[in-house]
Amino acid sequence: MNRAGRYARWAAIALVIVGSLFPFLWMLSVSLKRQVDIFGGPSLPKQPTLSNYTALFTQYHFGAYLVNSILIVGASVLASLLIGTPAAYALARFRLPRGLNGQALFAALLVRMVPPILLVVPFYIILAKFGLLNTRLGLILLYTGINTSFVIWIMQSFLAEIPTDIEDAALVDGDSRLSALRRIILPLASSGLAATAIFAVITTYNDFLIALTMTSTPAAQTVPVGISTLIGKIQVEWGPMAAGGIIGALPILIFAFIVQRHFVRGMTLGAVK
Amino acid sequence: MTSGSGPSMKWSRRSVLKGAGLGVAAAAAAPLLAACGSSGGSGGGSASGSSKKVIIGSFQDPAMAPFRDKYVKQYQQETGVQVQYSETSYDAWYQACKSDGLNKTGAYDIYVMDDNWVPEFAAGGIVQNLDKLGLKVNPDILSKGLDQGYWPPKEGARLKAFKNDTPALYSLVIIDDVNLLYYDTRHFSSPPETWDDIYTAMKKKAHPPQLYGWSARGVKGNPVVQTYLPLLNSYGGNFVNDDWSPGFAGPEGVAALERLLTFLPYMAASTPEFDTDQETSLMLQGKCMALTEYTGTAVTEIDNPSDSKVVGKINMATTPKQVKNGPAIGTFICGIASGSPNTDGAVKFLEWFTSDRIQTQFAREGGNAAVTKTALNDPQASQKYRWLPAIAQSVQLSTPKPRTPDEPKFEDILGTQLNLALVQALQQKGGYDQIAQKYLNVAKGQMQAVLEQNKNIYF
Amino acid sequence: MAVTTAPVRPSEPGRRPDAGRRAGLDRALPWLLLLPAAITLGLVSVYPIYAGVHASLTTYLYGRPVAGAGLKNYTDTWHDPVFWQAMEVTLKFVLIAVTVETVLGLGLALLVANVVRGARWIRMSILAPMTVAPVVVGVIWRLIYESETGFVNPMFTSLGLGAPNVLSHEGSAFFGLVLVDVWEWTPLLFLICLAGLQSIPQEPLEAAAVDGAGPVRLFFNHTLPLLLPVLAVGVVLRLIDAVGTFDQIFVLTRGGPGTATQLISIYAYNTAFNFTDYGHGAAMLIALLAFAFLLVLVALSLMRRAAKRVAQ
Repeated sequence: MNRAGRYARWAAIALVIVGSLFPFLWMLSVSLKRQVDIFGGPSLPKQPTLSNYTALFTQYHFGAYLVNSILIVGASVLASLLIGTPAAYALARFRLPRGLNGQALFAALLVRMVPPILLVVPFYIILAKFGLLNTRLGLILLYTGINTSFVIWIMQSFLAEIPTDIEDAALVDGDSRLSALRRIILPLASSGLAATAIFAVITTYNDFLIALTMTSTPAAQTVPVGISTLIGKIQVEWGPMAAGGIIGALPILIFAFIVQRHFVRGMTLGAVK
Repeated sequence: MTSGSGPSMKWSRRSVLKGAGLGVAAAAAAPLLAACGSSGGSGGGSASGSSKKVIIGSFQDPAMAPFRDKYVKQYQQETGVQVQYSETSYDAWYQACKSDGLNKTGAYDIYVMDDNWVPEFAAGGIVQNLDKLGLKVNPDILSKGLDQGYWPPKEGARLKAFKNDTPALYSLVIIDDVNLLYYDTRHFSSPPETWDDIYTAMKKKAHPPQLYGWSARGVKGNPVVQTYLPLLNSYGGNFVNDDWSPGFAGPEGVAALERLLTFLPYMAASTPEFDTDQETSLMLQGKCMALTEYTGTAVTEIDNPSDSKVVGKINMATTPKQVKNGPAIGTFICGIASGSPNTDGAVKFLEWFTSDRIQTQFAREGGNAAVTKTALNDPQASQKYRWLPAIAQSVQLSTPKPRTPDEPKFEDILGTQLNLALVQALQQKGGYDQIAQKYLNVAKGQMQAVLEQNKNIYF
Repeated sequence: MAVTTAPVRPSEPGRRPDAGRRAGLDRALPWLLLLPAAITLGLVSVYPIYAGVHASLTTYLYGRPVAGAGLKNYTDTWHDPVFWQAMEVTLKFVLIAVTVETVLGLGLALLVANVVRGARWIRMSILAPMTVAPVVVGVIWRLIYESETGFVNPMFTSLGLGAPNVLSHEGSAFFGLVLVDVWEWTPLLFLICLAGLQSIPQEPLEAAAVDGAGPVRLFFNHTLPLLLPVLAVGVVLRLIDAVGTFDQIFVLTRGGPGTATQLISIYAYNTAFNFTDYGHGAAMLIALLAFAFLLVLVALSLMRRAAKRVAQ
């Protein structure tokens, strides 16, 4: 590529990065302003204040929301991986009668297609019946169910791509299927696991509607729900809302930063069909 | 087949991932065990062991802050009864308490409700009959505020199934949230009394964008309807007539909307996107001559230096008159849950909070919108918080909204068309009466379709 | 970056050892492995769908089911002009947003694919919007578009143009919403295309370049066909999710001005919850589910056709 082309490319990349990150900067600026300055017009904070952030943690229980989100997401993603991966393996390695493989995959996809609003009332009824409303465990169970769908769908394609020769060699050597799965297949599919985990983490962390309906106090409410609490009936607390947006996005951004290399790699393995 | 990297690189990547995976697993496993154990705060289902506890749930709102921060604790100190208060966002709370009441899950004793939930909650048996529970109503509570809690309503259209029932009290008002007129004393030498007064003043003095003559909530649905109702009522129009037919498309309603549209040249061009905070921010920045809004702005913002640049310069009165004054009223109102585990405790709490002593304290400490006549006219309180007498006056002049569970849907229908009327009027800058008639007719047609669809409830 | 490019393989049963006991276990094994997942998925999908269909066939009063409604909720919805308007808005929104996201995502991937210096930071910056919760996205953009305190108005006025007041007009609010969705989800398409680009074998491309093919022809004749299956997965994902967009719109405009941004999701939510008409809301949502179902079927068949063409 010639010089002009290279400059053009870097200019385009710079433009894209600015467009991508600018809203974050805007949010940061608002989070440091007092209410009266927020409506005084767009500008850098005249009297920067951390009061919005402190309000988040003292008045609006944000610490509790963060803890809940991290616990719930960690547990449910882990559980869904444990449940979904063996199922994905079964669908990848065994030909079930009557074309059940394709149907099972489509059925797994089904729950992802259901509008979350439609899931909410039946979920509420189920949780209420078992006394799990407004509990972390209730949310963990629901999210595990939903994530399993996604885990099966993606892991099935990863696992199907691993050649059977390695596995067959182990089986001939006397391994059982399960130990072959554990010792050989899973390490090869670990990047797929990581990619699946990342997608599941982001989707679960950011869920709003289900968490909103199943919880009612900071004992179990998650970050997106906590942020929405700042939208009052008549008025939005803009300063704390912006601060909440920044703080709320941090765990995900950190998580994404740590694993983004595997992200791209994992997507490749699973996506080519 | 993997291309490129040799076995050594692959193994090192894998071991890193394995390590990361183990780390994630370890990190998640421990909390999983812990989380399974602790099931968090007030779950549904179990009634409290001690019958001395009262559980209150509410939606987050600045008006509820004193209740949450002070009065709940004060009741505990005075009576020794434990009170548990929790709040969440408006939409979440509406669904939560409705589900709790429908299923009698009994997670709460008292629901703090928005005024327009009363028809649905009372008709649906979600809250209990307070008269039957023996609640003694403080006779000093302003009657029009108290009336909001009756089902079926004492005046106005009634659902067919309740046509001949005697009104009973199903929820008790705790905060008299009513429309007020806010005006900037730097631009009005005396309180404006009629819409013409307002219009004359803004024609003379307003020069947008440094000074707007009027400010309003324009977002479709409930917000813009709140802007319209004080006008509609004051022109003698009805949201619904006594037979449920829409009343706003008649000559009074059209004239009322037309009046609002004539204010538009003196209002912000972005009014259709305004909700409360943008609407009031113009006044709080000192850029607006007058507006109508509920009491929250007065109580929490007008004289607060971290919100307002016009501390002490804004006065309040009841909303302007055409043939009459017609502020809309939208109380904070408490019902006792159908599955409440401690109805006696709940009744006693509500009687305590609406007693003369507490209400006067409520008014004196912070100028909150108390519900009794003496509290709102208390000299000590009104001297410090000049809006209290205006609230008292407004409540007794107020017009209730239609009492039906479909009221939010009606507001959405009317509010969508009002919003479109604003958008067109801003573009067209004239022909306001035709614009008003056109959109009100559309709203009327849509509302009639809804009524027809549900005619077994209404007629 | 090491990557597999194994072609599609139908599920093959591995070679089974002859031991009879083993064979028995092997026959049972897939079902055993599938069982926990089947139960889990059954609980979260079968019951809600059944409950949703059941609700859509019921009349509700004050939140309680009171009578069977037959198909009345569906016919009411069919005759509801606001429903069709919301459908139209949804369709317009989904098609425009997903198309723009795909084109932009592909373009970004092409732009960044061969960059080495600072690749990690560039990728992170491009990915960042996708990691933010939809509610927060709605809040950020509300702050940016907001006429008194936002960024858009001053930017325009400082350039001498009139203040657009994005959220106050139907057209600009709609495209403002599209912009928000594009900002938030282009990273997903970018990621998918980037991964796809990195899995394409380079030798055929280099050979064609040596033969004199220009960059445009290289792309359309060689790169794009191989990329199509990957692209299709991303497009299907986005189509399904875009149909259900809710949080951002709610915060930004509540569906206004008028009904310019009122997608089905908003209308159905209001009907089901805020208007206490759960039966009608459920009917609308079942219709939405069927709509998403059809979209996926169409997209999957397109994908299969494209993959077949590539295999030639």
